[in-house]
Amino acid sequence: MKHLRTTLLGAALAAGTALPAFAQETQVIGVSIPAATHGWAGGMNFHAQEAIDRLEEVYPDLDFVLATASDPSKQVNDIEDMLATRNISALVVLPFESEPLTGPVKAVSDSGAWVTVVDRGLAQEGIEDLYVAGDNSGFGRVSGEYMTEALPDGGQIVALRGIPTTIDNERVEGFEQAIEGSGIEIIDMEHGNWNRDDSFTVMQDFLSKHDQIDAVWASDDDMAVGVLAAIEAAGRDDVQFVLGGAGMKEMIARTRDGDPMIPANVTYPPAMIATAIELTAVGLTSSAPVSGTFTIGSVLVTQDNAEDYYFEDSPF
Amino acid sequence: MKLDLHVLGPILALVVLVLVGAAMNSNFLSAANVTNVLSRSAFIGIIAVGMTFVITAGGLDLSVGSMAAFIAGLMIMVMNGLLPTMGPGWPLVGVGVGAALLAGLLAGFLNGFLVTTMRIEAFIVTLGTMGIYRSLVTWLADGGTLSLDFGMRTVIRPIYYNGILGISWPIIVFALVAIAGETIMRRGAFGRHAAAVGSNDQVARYSSVDVNRVRMLTYVFLGLLVGIATIMYVPRLGSASSSTGVLWELEAIAAVIIGGTMLKGGFGRVWGTVIGVLILSLIDNILNLTDGVSPYLNGAIQGVIIILAVILQRERKAEG
Amino acid sequence: MKLTLSGIDRSFGDVQVLFDVDLVLNPGEVHALIGENGAGKSTTMKIMSGYLAPTAGQVLLDDVPATFAGSQDAEGRGVVLIHQEFNLAEQLTVEQNVFLGHELRRGPFLDKRAMRARTQALLERLNCKVSPDARVRDISNPDKQMVEIAKALGREARVLVMDEPTAVLTEREAEVLFEQVDRLRAEGVAILFTSHKLDEVKRISDRVTVMRDGRVVAQATTAEMSEDDMATAMVGRDVSSLYPARTRPVGDEVVLAVRDLNVPGHATDVSFDLHRGEILGIAGLIGSGRTETMEGLVGLRTATGRIEMHGQQVRFDRPRAALAAGMAYLTEDRKARGLLLAKGMRENLTLQSLPDFTAFLIDERAEDRALDRAIADFDIRAPHRKVEVGNLSGGNQQKLLLAKTMLADPEIVIIDEPTRGIDIGTKQQIYAFIHALVADGKSVIVISSEMQEVIGLADRVLVMRQGRVAGELTGDGIGEDRIVRLAMGLDGMRGAA
Repeated sequence: MKHLRTTLLGAALAAGTALPAFAQETQVIGVSIPAATHGWAGGMNFHAQEAIDRLEEVYPDLDFVLATASDPSKQVNDIEDMLATRNISALVVLPFESEPLTGPVKAVSDSGAWVTVVDRGLAQEGIEDLYVAGDNSGFGRVSGEYMTEALPDGGQIVALRGIPTTIDNERVEGFEQAIEGSGIEIIDMEHGNWNRDDSFTVMQDFLSKHDQIDAVWASDDDMAVGVLAAIEAAGRDDVQFVLGGAGMKEMIARTRDGDPMIPANVTYPPAMIATAIELTAVGLTSSAPVSGTFTIGSVLVTQDNAEDYYFEDSPF
Repeated sequence: MKLDLHVLGPILALVVLVLVGAAMNSNFLSAANVTNVLSRSAFIGIIAVGMTFVITAGGLDLSVGSMAAFIAGLMIMVMNGLLPTMGPGWPLVGVGVGAALLAGLLAGFLNGFLVTTMRIEAFIVTLGTMGIYRSLVTWLADGGTLSLDFGMRTVIRPIYYNGILGISWPIIVFALVAIAGETIMRRGAFGRHAAAVGSNDQVARYSSVDVNRVRMLTYVFLGLLVGIATIMYVPRLGSASSSTGVLWELEAIAAVIIGGTMLKGGFGRVWGTVIGVLILSLIDNILNLTDGVSPYLNGAIQGVIIILAVILQRERKAEG
Repeated sequence: MKLTLSGIDRSFGDVQVLFDVDLVLNPGEVHALIGENGAGKSTTMKIMSGYLAPTAGQVLLDDVPATFAGSQDAEGRGVVLIHQEFNLAEQLTVEQNVFLGHELRRGPFLDKRAMRARTQALLERLNCKVSPDARVRDISNPDKQMVEIAKALGREARVLVMDEPTAVLTEREAEVLFEQVDRLRAEGVAILFTSHKLDEVKRISDRVTVMRDGRVVAQATTAEMSEDDMATAMVGRDVSSLYPARTRPVGDEVVLAVRDLNVPGHATDVSFDLHRGEILGIAGLIGSGRTETMEGLVGLRTATGRIEMHGQQVRFDRPRAALAAGMAYLTEDRKARGLLLAKGMRENLTLQSLPDFTAFLIDERAEDRALDRAIADFDIRAPHRKVEVGNLSGGNQQKLLLAKTMLADPEIVIIDEPTRGIDIGTKQQIYAFIHALVADGKSVIVISSEMQEVIGLADRVLVMRQGRVAGELTGDGIGEDRIVRLAMGLDGMRGAA
């Protein structure tokens, strides 16, 4: 998938740079994303802003409106405002939740504007022109597969889940399917809400509750930070490693440097928002075929390939 | 003085929770678990002691969670920024601590100033500053996480994890703050004045109490305690982000109310607040230690217990 | 409708507060219920109007036994109690208040037109000129009283029970109220009211019931009882000498000199002197700026002017400063401004003087000793030491407030309405106490709306009108007629001391 994306973009960018020759009127692309309430979202915000800054230079005829929302209803308001007052030609949206956003996004689509949906699908199919999707069950599956490799004889693990959402459910299902029959047993699972403090607390309690924990699926690098601190504080050496996810740069660096506690990572790149914005810009300004669904798969990062996934400037 | 449900209620609830926890899991009463629960209670606990005074004086502060996140971010940035010149070590920790205390004092002063001198409703003022601090920390962290330099983290780590006689520093500081708070509330002129102001500010004014000064001091005191709580918090994970301290304000307020302080002011009880904080942390701890209850229901169980605690206390009001 | 109480007993826990109370309210008759604070008047009224149930005995409506499920039930049957503290939503309009909880509807919507018309009619019936659209917080106290009555009438009240309706009214305002009471009586409403003002009782009622210690001690037509008879029955002893005689002459030394005191919006160029051992009375209508002037003097309000104590110029920007200089102000509103009703006596007593009881921590034993002394010195009667002050009778609250003020040991005491809403026995004690203060060389300023009180107590009287000193009266010149003329602006004389 990554390859497809790169080639496509290459072609599109070539087309894009040729565009200013046409004296086109300025078009507005609205970008509506959740606010930076946790690390991954922070990274996503960073990449969105960065993509916009970059594309505004590349395409003088494009204007971008970025709105970050702290809850679904604010996001609905943002989108309604964009449609009503900014006369957007395209909307890039990472829906906070699928159901509440479906109606408003459909209204945008009905107005004739281009709609790109990122990461979280809408409740109704066929609204969007372009769907740039993360692969949540793939994320869980890759994590599970690594777990079975790392614990070939099976073992007892605990898992931390994110905020209760479809995303989290899909990841956990993918993970559970992947470890089925491997002899690995999830002895406990609680929500750490993609939050360092919450996961610290949950992990402390897991450590009190269970005398033997072979590994931890923290499922997210923010949660992995909390988990690691709790293990360190408890001085327990039964935990062999912690598998996080999403590719926070500090964690990637530790994997790269061979930290035995962080032997691997699974990507769920927040940069997918940048991809979506770029593809949308291309779609608006050229005739390149960018509609359809682009799934950005989750990739296993180990010491061997960690360098490729380390982004110095990203806050995440 | 006879003991009634009003006094016994929170203690009883705590005892019941401890018994339930001990029955559910044999590790519940282990030193490690007790230390964990008490240490993690310390942040909210230290803040809730200050909140008790604010609420007793008829005020409210919704900004403490954001304020803690902001101060944590600031403390980390100050230490990271001075690291090249001062080098890792206790002097730099001292500077960080000083910065946190100063920021807490100033933030409390700002809330107090807006409430007293500018005469704006405490709810609105602190709702505003809550948003401001939350945004500021997100901005400082550029949407991500502010992390303390790794070398510094090792130096500062003992503040959370070490202690004396096997009791960790957060527990010691929490205990000291609680004892000082309880003493001031019960036996200090300031505590009496805060209760008088919360009970009826006109009566306080006509009784030559400087109402604005008392109100202002409650906010400053709370700000200072937020600073202290932050000093305990930063060494734990060495980072701060926009998700730091989310909903701490509501947990602190809930603890205060469970403890028997009146939300409308006029009566405050610091020891009750301490019990309230412990009740809230224990619920989480027990739910984590046991199976069988869906984690989706944690919030519901907390909610039920908060409401029950308040009902228990009102029973007595109706009788008396 | 006729309402009868027959053999009513009532206990709270082990404490019996009513003993075998019999009382009949006849239609078209005004019945006065009088007694000292704590005599059982409030409990009796609450039983009549369904707020409390009797422990024994019966309430009868038109001779049929009635058991009220609650005050709502009683209101439904035409028995309405009007509380002493107004029970009005200050932010709503008169009309909204009159129909609060009983709004007229047309379909799902409020029938505003009908409600407005009915409110107008009710107010007209009471000869009250307030607009139905006026907000309650903007209207005067007597008008609020009228709105309360209109509200009661709007609920078809046939028995109207009023708890001290004139306590917050001036004499003139009370007169307006009585005209309306006359009117209701003519319409056949049965009315019961309580009052501490015996002249009012004499003026308006047809029948008097006197209670003492939970029992009915006298019952007669008003014509049969003189005010002295009533007072004697209430107190159980002779109270003809309400105001004590001076034991020491007023001193010459001027302890307080006020020159051109201005309180923006309330007082203009107020000047006066106060001598050692003097009682200075301040009279005037409500709204004449008496209270505000004194609040300005002690730093509770912004004020300008020159204040000298013992010839030294002083400036008080906050009450604490005035107190430190030896001047204390005792508010007229003991419930809203004087005492913390939900707190105990000890906390209230020492609130103003807390620094004196605090080294690092509050010395609770010293506080207890102070309370012991206050209880003894001021004859405060409380069921027990921990009682919430709100549960004390008005008289005992006032005594506690006095004790609190005196704890700071002020040299000049300003007492605003020293005996508002308290019984005659306690009044006598408070007057005696004020005299003890001046005999001790302290100086007292008394603000009062009760003419008799000013005349009976003061050595000298300032009459205020519209924020200015309208005149000063001394010695034999102090008289009701003179005060009224000055207060109403009927007299051109100024400052003839």
